[in-house]
Amino acid sequence: MVTVTLPEIRKAQPLPETKETALDIQELDIYYGDYHALQNVNLPIKKNAINALIGPSGCGKSTILRSINRMNDDVPGFRAEGTIQYDDVNLLHEEIDTVALRKEIGMVFQNPNPFPKSIAKNIMQPLKEHGLYSKQNLSKKVEENLKQVGLWEEVWDRLHMSAYSLSGGQKQRLCIARTLSIHPEVILLDEPASALDPIAMAKIEDLLLTLKESYTVLLVTHNLQQAARIADYTAFFYQGELVEYADTKQFFSNPKEKRSADYISGRFG
Amino acid sequence: MIPIMQTTEKASERLIRKNKKLSLKNPERNGKVIVYSAAFVTILATLAVTIFLTQQGLQSFYMSGINPLEFLTSTNWNPSGSNPSYGALAFIFGSLSVTVLSALIVAPFGIGAAIFMTEIAPSWGKKILQPVIEILVGIPSVVYGYLGLTVLVPFIRDHIGGSGYSLMAGVIVVSLMILPTVTTLSADAFNRLPNGLRSSSLALGATRWQTVRRVLLPTAMPGLLTAIILGMARAIGEALAIQMVIGNTTILPSSLLDPAATMTTIITLNMGHTTFNSAENNVLWTLGLLLLILSYGLVMLVRFLAARRKF
Repeated sequence: MVTVTLPEIRKAQPLPETKETALDIQELDIYYGDYHALQNVNLPIKKNAINALIGPSGCGKSTILRSINRMNDDVPGFRAEGTIQYDDVNLLHEEIDTVALRKEIGMVFQNPNPFPKSIAKNIMQPLKEHGLYSKQNLSKKVEENLKQVGLWEEVWDRLHMSAYSLSGGQKQRLCIARTLSIHPEVILLDEPASALDPIAMAKIEDLLLTLKESYTVLLVTHNLQQAARIADYTAFFYQGELVEYADTKQFFSNPKEKRSADYISGRFG
Repeated sequence: MIPIMQTTEKASERLIRKNKKLSLKNPERNGKVIVYSAAFVTILATLAVTIFLTQQGLQSFYMSGINPLEFLTSTNWNPSGSNPSYGALAFIFGSLSVTVLSALIVAPFGIGAAIFMTEIAPSWGKKILQPVIEILVGIPSVVYGYLGLTVLVPFIRDHIGGSGYSLMAGVIVVSLMILPTVTTLSADAFNRLPNGLRSSSLALGATRWQTVRRVLLPTAMPGLLTAIILGMARAIGEALAIQMVIGNTTILPSSLLDPAATMTTIITLNMGHTTFNSAENNVLWTLGLLLLILSYGLVMLVRFLAARRKF
């Protein structure tokens, strides 16, 4: 018999009961060609909270992220049905301007991928692309965003150096800073800490906890402890189906579905 | 379970390396011999060519008494006259201008086509454009020269001016020849970029063009420069096609429409009717040595850029 050990919860979290919904996923079906990747998913993503998506590889959790900011549009055979309601618009609408959409819904990837430029320019570049040119404002933003991710103290004296000189964890925080610089409403994170060592991972987790004050965070993770530690809500996917979606504490201590219980106790996946 | 090998030997007998004798039956040894000799032959051939060219090329200075400064800076070329002179500047200039001008023409087209193939229409580009370009690489240079001779030279003569046989004709023919090389190598440079770079730029709300211009192009730059330089290396060594359209005069061209000559065309045109070890023959070797030095320089530049490449 495997006993379920609950990972320690680092910060006490208030029970998030009455949070507003930032993104409302309704009856979402996604296909890659004939393959039915996601089946009738109904999932309200809560505002100013960390929403974790967990599940074994290939269960469709990354597909959801990439459908929200429409990164999957170019995948051959990709088709989405249903709605992802954001404010008063369905993000799956064909007239959505993906460039404007991605400014409001930012994304951080599993592998830190800074641009091969200086640390400062990594943050300036998207700002310039969105029309901010004044040098003074740009360097102000660099400082502000690096402070937001706790990187300023570590790199303030070498902002002109290549972003490739940073460590893996620093690179990932730079990528988060770069995403924050364009002031998104929602931040999608696709296993942002899975390529990092435990210390760097802890820093990212702390950062996400501060970010949820002002942003809606949607986090895909393989790491159950991570979800248990920092997420307010947890959604468990299995084979393209949303098995259970609940308050994190409740999900880990008292899962309603048998499959959820099996998964968190390590019986499959 | 079936045991692979049953042995009563001790571990020391099984694992410590035994003295292996030279034997034709030892495949490990034979493989080593083949690979080592292949490497040796390659190095030997390169060294032999370099040494021979250096020795022959320098002969014109110490045996035939040609002034190196005159060779490099004078445009007076008359090696078979009664009072011979050996100024090769016109050909050095011809070679360099054909190489540099064609690289300048080809760079935007080659890189643009590569962007189209890899970023704008990858499926279409891979299915149609890539094979077309590979076919272009395989066309022999004499065909390019012949096309230049029958189409380009009369066109320049009728519509632009001059006799048609000109530096411009040479540049255009060489550009067409190196365009596929530059395009293919540039496409490789773009394909080598990590996919995350593309996605993260797009995920920040950059348009496709912004992604290409601000992220992919700068990151691929060392690879793109390598593509252009390898194209230049091909251009500087090309003789036949240029010779058919450039006009082959020994005079320094004063405009793009003037006929000119390159180091390679002078070598191919004169090698046949000079006697070995005569001053005229030696000076052709010197041109060959100069070409070798230039291509060594280009190769070194490629190596330098490759070391700077991040991906």
